[in-house]
Amino acid sequence: MIKIMKQLKFDALRLVIRNKSFLFFTLLMPAGFYLLFTKVMVVGSNPEMHQFYMTYMGSMTIYSGVIGAIFGVATILKNDRDKGLILLLQMTPSGSKNYYISIYTITMLLNLCAVMVLGVLARIFNNIDLSLKQYFMILLIVLVGQVPMLLLGTMMSYFKTQETLSVACNLVVFPLSIVSGLWWPISTMPSWLQGIGKVMPTYFANNLLGKAMLHDQLDLEGFYGIITWIVLMGCMTILVIKIQQKKGLRNSEA
Amino acid sequence: MKQIISVKNLNFSYGETEILKKINLTINKGEIIGLIGENGAGKTTLLNILLGLLPSKNNVQVFGNRPGSLVARKKIGSMLQGDLVLSSVRVDEFLEEVAMQYSNSIPLEQILEQLDLKKHRHKFLKELSGGLMRRVTFAQAVLNNPDLIFLDEPTVGMDAQARHIFWELIEKLREQGKTMIITSHYLEEIQQVASRLIVLQKGKFIFQGTLKELQDRHKQTVITFTSEYEKCVFAELTGIINIEKNSSQVVIKTVDGDNTLKQLLSKYPDVSNIAVEHETLEKIFLQMTTDKEQQ
Repeated sequence: MIKIMKQLKFDALRLVIRNKSFLFFTLLMPAGFYLLFTKVMVVGSNPEMHQFYMTYMGSMTIYSGVIGAIFGVATILKNDRDKGLILLLQMTPSGSKNYYISIYTITMLLNLCAVMVLGVLARIFNNIDLSLKQYFMILLIVLVGQVPMLLLGTMMSYFKTQETLSVACNLVVFPLSIVSGLWWPISTMPSWLQGIGKVMPTYFANNLLGKAMLHDQLDLEGFYGIITWIVLMGCMTILVIKIQQKKGLRNSEA
Repeated sequence: MKQIISVKNLNFSYGETEILKKINLTINKGEIIGLIGENGAGKTTLLNILLGLLPSKNNVQVFGNRPGSLVARKKIGSMLQGDLVLSSVRVDEFLEEVAMQYSNSIPLEQILEQLDLKKHRHKFLKELSGGLMRRVTFAQAVLNNPDLIFLDEPTVGMDAQARHIFWELIEKLREQGKTMIITSHYLEEIQQVASRLIVLQKGKFIFQGTLKELQDRHKQTVITFTSEYEKCVFAELTGIINIEKNSSQVVIKTVDGDNTLKQLLSKYPDVSNIAVEHETLEKIFLQMTTDKEQQ
């Protein structure tokens, strides 16, 4: 436990505290979007607007998690692997497990921070008042909902070059966010696109958050959807790691 | 003598390309192995196998276990090619991070002192010069007080002073009985410290033994002296392979240095300013690899 705490301190310092751009993208950008969209978009009457302020807070929380997992985790893992940090840790008695725990924990903690930041903004600017129980449910959904994204970020970290990774991140994050209704309501999209959007892990998480905030309840169906994605992504991650290890052997320098 | 590494009949390929061929190697405690070979000879692959970074069968053992086992990881320190220049990390933070992974690490202050890194401890890694960064990488390799140290091109990028400090430290580690495997392109440095040399070419060991044995096998002694005799008269000396004369200075190469010198002194008393030089490791290495290429 002490080792994990020390690893967390080491990684938090280099990746978050001394890396302001990471904070900007994971916390400030979704917060900015939330304020902009809730002040610009008009979706109906006052009660409907109130609902929109709530659900959009959930959407931006999920969006923050997607950015943290895809742009954040994928880039961090790729950088650290390219520079040799992961290899160095693998050669020590502790191995690299504490490192991975630390990176995932930091990303999840940042997403929880995003909940707090968006919660404060929603309260100040849009008079959204959530109970402690609702916040507890939001935190739980956010944590579970981010796992498939963390696994996807881990897989994407195996892209060969930074440039490819950067392009792939953009190709995943923005379409995924749009199609699963994080930026604007999924009901505004064509039905065939809705069909795709409604099976995305981000849709399940967003839907869960919406129900938790609006109806004060947890939707088990949404959880099953996320768990299915966790199993699927977990298997794919293992497969990608195995393939990369084999490739790595072939490409290693003689 | 306690055996640290045992390799029996190791072959390694990347797909169709054979990288290591029938490698047999035993390394005992306290030995310093100089592993030399051209680029692509298989040195790094061999080190990676011994470190457990590449797979091997039961024919490779490190500390009596498979490479990369927990026992081996506890007792090994490695300084691989390329430095870990993490952005936004200071020297002491990086070394603390590595030290944390071991239960038997040397106090940070001690290692900073030994490697003259105290004044640089708060610098960010990306601010360090190449030589200084190499020193930090070396500190990371010996932080856990390892019994076996892998040093892959350790002095690349170091200036003369840093190299001097580095080899002094290696000497101290040798006195402590540490086992080391060093690869380097600076062969004159390796020949100073290595107790055994291994020459690897195209995945095969073409020589294993001490520097003396290597010199004896490829022995060429260069004798330089001053004489007024014509150069052809020295051709009758034992073991001569080449004679050059420039005004009164004569340079002869011989494969039988001792006897050539004895005959020279007894037959030609007028010779003066005699200097005897053994062939350097670098020249022998070049000769060996060229010979094998031609074969």
